[in-house]
Amino acid sequence: MLNLPRWQTLVIAGITLLSVLFALPNLLPASVLQHLPQWYATSRINLGLDLRGGAHFLLEADLRSVLNERLTNLSDSVRAELRKQQVPFKDVTVEPGKALIVNLRNEASRAKAIEAIRAFDPSLAVSGTGDTIRLAYSEQELTRRKKEVIDQSIEILRRRVDETGTLEPTITRQGDERILLQVPGIKDTTDLKRKINQTAKLTFHLVNEDIAVTGQNIPQTLPPTTFLVPTREGMQELRRTNPKAWEDIQTANPRLSPEQICRRYQPQCLPVLKRVVVGGEDLDDSKATFEQQQGGRPIISFTFNSAGGRAFCAATRANIGKRLAIQLDGEIISAPVVQSAICGGSGIITGSFTTQQTQEQSLLLRSGALPATLTIIQESTVGADLGADAIQAGTVAALVGTALVAIFMFVAYGPVFGGFANLAMLVNLLMVFAGMSILGASLTLPGIAGLVLTVGMAVDSNVLIYERVREEKALGRSAFSSLATGYERAMSAIIDANLTTLIAGVLLFGFGSGPIRGFATTLSLGLLTSMFSSTIFTRMLLAVWVRWRRPTELVI
Amino acid sequence: MWKPVHVFAFKRKFDFLGQRRTALILSTLINIVSIAAVFTFGLNFGIDFRGGIAIQAKAKDGTAELDQLRNTVGALGVGEVSLQEFGDPSTVLIRVQRQEGDAQCVAGAQRVMQKRAGQGWLVKPGAAGTGDVEFTSPTPLDAANWRDAVSRAGLTLQERQLPRGSTNTARIDMSIEQRAEWCQQVAIKQVEDAIGANYEMRGTESVGPKIGDELMRSGIWAVIATMAAIAIYVWVRFEWQFAVGALIAMLHDVISTIGIFVLFQLDFSLTALAAVLTIAGYSINDTVVVFDRVRENMRRYKKMPLVDLLNQSINETLSRTLMTSATVFVAVAALVLFGGPVLQSFSVAMLWGVIVGTYSSVWVACAGLVYLGLRSDSLRPADDKADKTDKTEKAGA
Repeated sequence: MLNLPRWQTLVIAGITLLSVLFALPNLLPASVLQHLPQWYATSRINLGLDLRGGAHFLLEADLRSVLNERLTNLSDSVRAELRKQQVPFKDVTVEPGKALIVNLRNEASRAKAIEAIRAFDPSLAVSGTGDTIRLAYSEQELTRRKKEVIDQSIEILRRRVDETGTLEPTITRQGDERILLQVPGIKDTTDLKRKINQTAKLTFHLVNEDIAVTGQNIPQTLPPTTFLVPTREGMQELRRTNPKAWEDIQTANPRLSPEQICRRYQPQCLPVLKRVVVGGEDLDDSKATFEQQQGGRPIISFTFNSAGGRAFCAATRANIGKRLAIQLDGEIISAPVVQSAICGGSGIITGSFTTQQTQEQSLLLRSGALPATLTIIQESTVGADLGADAIQAGTVAALVGTALVAIFMFVAYGPVFGGFANLAMLVNLLMVFAGMSILGASLTLPGIAGLVLTVGMAVDSNVLIYERVREEKALGRSAFSSLATGYERAMSAIIDANLTTLIAGVLLFGFGSGPIRGFATTLSLGLLTSMFSSTIFTRMLLAVWVRWRRPTELVI
Repeated sequence: MWKPVHVFAFKRKFDFLGQRRTALILSTLINIVSIAAVFTFGLNFGIDFRGGIAIQAKAKDGTAELDQLRNTVGALGVGEVSLQEFGDPSTVLIRVQRQEGDAQCVAGAQRVMQKRAGQGWLVKPGAAGTGDVEFTSPTPLDAANWRDAVSRAGLTLQERQLPRGSTNTARIDMSIEQRAEWCQQVAIKQVEDAIGANYEMRGTESVGPKIGDELMRSGIWAVIATMAAIAIYVWVRFEWQFAVGALIAMLHDVISTIGIFVLFQLDFSLTALAAVLTIAGYSINDTVVVFDRVRENMRRYKKMPLVDLLNQSINETLSRTLMTSATVFVAVAALVLFGGPVLQSFSVAMLWGVIVGTYSSVWVACAGLVYLGLRSDSLRPADDKADKTDKTEKAGA
């Protein structure tokens, strides 16, 4: 038991050393860290919002209204389609949150009606009998659409909340219909709420093809109907080649107009007509898809509401062959050439796009409006000083707790055995730090409590071992044999004790939310690592010690 | 170099199970009182489970005037309000009940708008049966300005809810549930407006009605699932009498911990739930140590009467049971003393859990083995002549 082969000793020492390495960036002062490579220095444990200060929102998307709205839109389209196909019907009604009901005038036209609607939206499941047709989305389709709405909302939130790219918000999906938004270091939530509410400005303009703008060659005067807008690619190019200028544009106060940006910094720009063909509020949806023919090139499809559709139809009919610029927040994200009149409310943008580009662009097109109402159902704001107080209290409690346990172990088991147990306790703490750094887990105030608790529980394993050793020694066994038997016999109780507490920790992680997960993380991690540090690691220490000192009698 | 001190080495052997009747009465009493207390006084659920608002405010100069604050906040029409000093005399924790989205809330929203966006703003409830709210601005506003204005009252809106063009009134469509959630925001703003001049808001937490209900449900599930999982584990690892003994001990610990929460009217929040679950897991620790020894001794002393065998096992493992509890106890004590007000209820509960866990491993789990009749069939009465304890054991079984 205590005759460890050399390779085992090396492996155990190696694991310990690695943990120390991973934990170290959390413990070194900033002055030392700045001399270390960045990837290493920055791999530290994140502090939770309750320690760091910041705002946390749980938002719930109103998916039922989204569905109802889709169904209402669909009912308009179905009505139009049935009229076009000359299918006689009484009415088309929406069953809120569920389905669309079409009442036909006679049963005879049922097949024709179904065919017409199916062609329109193949994802609809058809049921009903006689002259009633019931159209509903399948569970699968609903799930897909819900996911789409949430993903879209997350992207839009990211854009709105973090315009300047400095806030480091964390925006994640929670369950089926919720979004968790965390912004560190923020205290004024009114400002944040205003940002959540803020809409990106999306407009369609015709390009003024009479004016040539190439590179720095910008005409001094433009017709009053025309203004210059930088392209998105142009701005990205500028950001790469001249970060200083980009920074200036972002921080300029008051904000520069697109034309001022064009004249001052000369990114790639386009002259567009000021008149708005159609605005983003009329755009219902946009997605990345593939062309039906011609090898299935990636394209972007979009759908307008009825008002937008009419305006778009008129504008495209009159301007075939010209470019239509799509402006989003003062940047042109795309300027496709009008191939034909686009009527009927939906159209496509073709071009030499990659799939990734079409996805990006369709996302940008959708970023005009949030697809669903987001209601704040949980909120917490922690001021930075409150967080600092919590850190202080947590740190003091942790240090005092560790010190008390260490003193206790020293007194109870003497310098050698107490020392080994305490060394193992420190290694355990380092391993928890390392584990959290690797997992990217956040340390919260309850997390610190979990840490303190594991300090007390980790040495329990050593207590069980040492008490057994004392007993074996009292039975008259030799030093070596008492140690070996002590480890062997205490093992099953150690595993049982740790696993039952671990069960509680893991389930708490599963059911809990927010800071409580921090507690579950440190507790579970601490118990797992303590099974290494308190048993395997201390056994190695003892094996080395026994070989070195060759004790005939144990002082324990 | 110093010599180790055998902290819990006792020369005397104690007759623990001799006291098992007293312990049985005591434990049953504690548990009955705990359960009765939960039903009569109720758990002091925190906002995590009940929904509501908690605001930590610090007086800008000197001490927080609790009575004055209670009057100010109580007069806002936000429902039940409770205040307590939090950590130090200058800091106060203001708790407001969860909001139901009634007419009072809409009136509150009007006050908030008048204070934050200007006099002349009006807020009225929309048609009965809906959660609609109608805002009236003193001057016509366009969509962007509407958005700006209503976000001052904590509303988050979707574009299509806003009026087109420039108007004086905007009707915001909401369901009754959505309005109840929004009213949480209104209540926070009202409290801020009422006391903001003299108090600094250090932190705010708001749990809407929906989340509160959900957390309550998932909390109950967490307790059930954890106990069931631990039960299954113990079942697999030990003979059934051991498993039942350990589980009764665990239930005893959990129920009495909940009793402590009622007794001291501690805030039962998510952290408290964490304490309860941890105690459930930790309760087994000491029990397992004793049981391990009981099993070992059962193999070694085949003919020893059960009560003697249990007593011997408990005495043999006593020092380690006390040592393991002591290490956790000192660590938790540090949390109680220095962990700050947020962790207070968690730490106090954990401290109790450590003490009661040690007690129950001896007087509940082991005594349970006696009452459950462990090995009574394998003991031949003929071998145990003149053994009083054996008779009591049978009587108990």
